[in-house]
Amino acid sequence: MFDGMTRRARRGMLREWRLHTLSVFSLAVAFVCLGAALLVVANLRAIEERWAHAGRFSVYLKDQATQPDIDLVKSALTKVPGVTEVRYVSSGQARAEFGMSEGAAKSDLAALPVEAFPASIEVLVRPDMPDADIAEITGKLKVLPAIEDVETYQAWTERLSRLVRGGVAAASLLAIVVFASVLAVVGSTIRLALQRRRTEVEVLKLVGATDVFVKGPFLLEGSAQGAMGAVGAVVLLGLLFAIVRGRLDGELVTLIGLEPTFLPWPVAIGMIAVGAFLGMAAAALGLRKLVTV
Amino acid sequence: MFEDVYKSYRAGVPVLRGMNLIIERGEFVFITGPSGSGKSTLLRLLYRAERVDQGRILFMGRDVARLRDESVPFLRRNIGVVFQDFKIVSSWSVYENVAITLEVLGLPTRLIKARVGEVLERVGLTGRGGDVAGVLSGGEQQRVALARAIVGEPALILADEPTGNLDPQLALDILGLFDEIHESGTTVLFATHDRTLLEVRPRRLIVLDEGKAMDVPNGVSTPPDEDYDNQLPL
Repeated sequence: MFDGMTRRARRGMLREWRLHTLSVFSLAVAFVCLGAALLVVANLRAIEERWAHAGRFSVYLKDQATQPDIDLVKSALTKVPGVTEVRYVSSGQARAEFGMSEGAAKSDLAALPVEAFPASIEVLVRPDMPDADIAEITGKLKVLPAIEDVETYQAWTERLSRLVRGGVAAASLLAIVVFASVLAVVGSTIRLALQRRRTEVEVLKLVGATDVFVKGPFLLEGSAQGAMGAVGAVVLLGLLFAIVRGRLDGELVTLIGLEPTFLPWPVAIGMIAVGAFLGMAAAALGLRKLVTV
Repeated sequence: MFEDVYKSYRAGVPVLRGMNLIIERGEFVFITGPSGSGKSTLLRLLYRAERVDQGRILFMGRDVARLRDESVPFLRRNIGVVFQDFKIVSSWSVYENVAITLEVLGLPTRLIKARVGEVLERVGLTGRGGDVAGVLSGGEQQRVALARAIVGEPALILADEPTGNLDPQLALDILGLFDEIHESGTTVLFATHDRTLLEVRPRRLIVLDEGKAMDVPNGVSTPPDEDYDNQLPL
């Protein structure tokens, strides 16, 4: 029976390929929006994850900090369990390092006064070091007279977390819009197909087909439309991602600190599965008032 | 068997009013009457496209009127229906139009092919299985509809004005096919208001008028005289 259903579904889709293509295209556009949002969220999550476990903090020194003060702090830090490296960076070195990483802007940076780049002690810790331990160290450091401030990048992580939460909320909202559009597009397509194939349905009911037999091909068509729309979106998004990454790869790595990644496969496959399921659900809704003979 | 069957589409305007009728297995019965007399309604009640308002319709020991919706498909597998407008899927091939009856039953493809081939031969469409049904002539389309109705070997064939869209000669050819089907033991209920057909084949005749059925056991066996003609509301 399933063979017959798939055959009739395939035949129905082929005979009304324009209608189905239009529907799949509309769904692909909707899914591209959702996929793009998920892509941004996935990459923001990766950045947040990386920054949350950056394994470093910067101890900014006051201008009047003397070499003995600096050596004392370095020595104390070196003895803390979990600290893997302690490096002093002078104002001049900081300016030079920043200029190197910024490349094109080097000449502009050279014009900045030395005070714009305070001397610091860069501390590397084990990535698995608990946040509480780092907070305890930084708390103790902040009260020392030679130290201006300690930057753990926690504020950045929190900002990023807020951004990710905002992204997730936006993606969720977008998902609702996409789900509604899938239901509307597939439902309308199936209703239209049902209208066009009214005689076919009448004949099927006349020869004793059960509702499952009659509805089956339409449900498969709806499911196929949803899945194809999602597949189209993943392919389109993949192409766009490859183009953007190909052109901005270096800049993106510098900007966000890690290589951008495409949608994780479970997410992409999940999107296709959701498309298929929603397509089938939309078809089922569209078939509520099946032709009666 | 129709037992005190009432059916109306509008309040106060009954189409069938307490109709009683017994049709034996293997009979060929013409049903006639003026337009709106309830010929189609009678047939539609039998294959449960409509529900009776009151009364019972017994078919194969079951009251059709009381069947649950889930059981209706199984009722229809025992009934072949042929319409005036053929009701075939014009975009399907002849084979597909006929085979669907057996696909619904879940028969294996090989058996379906063999059975459809036999039936197409029986209705005079040998070798036409691959043709698109929509391009066939009216007579051929009706043959396809007939093939679809008989391929499942139903106990009962309902024909609702099956010759209404055909010229007289084709109508006689189609009637001939119904005769052949009947001869193989199938019960046939043939609704028509074509007097020629009634005269050509003297069969039991049920005349419907004003919601009641009048039984004429031997049909119009001879050219009707004036009095008899007045009895038939044709």
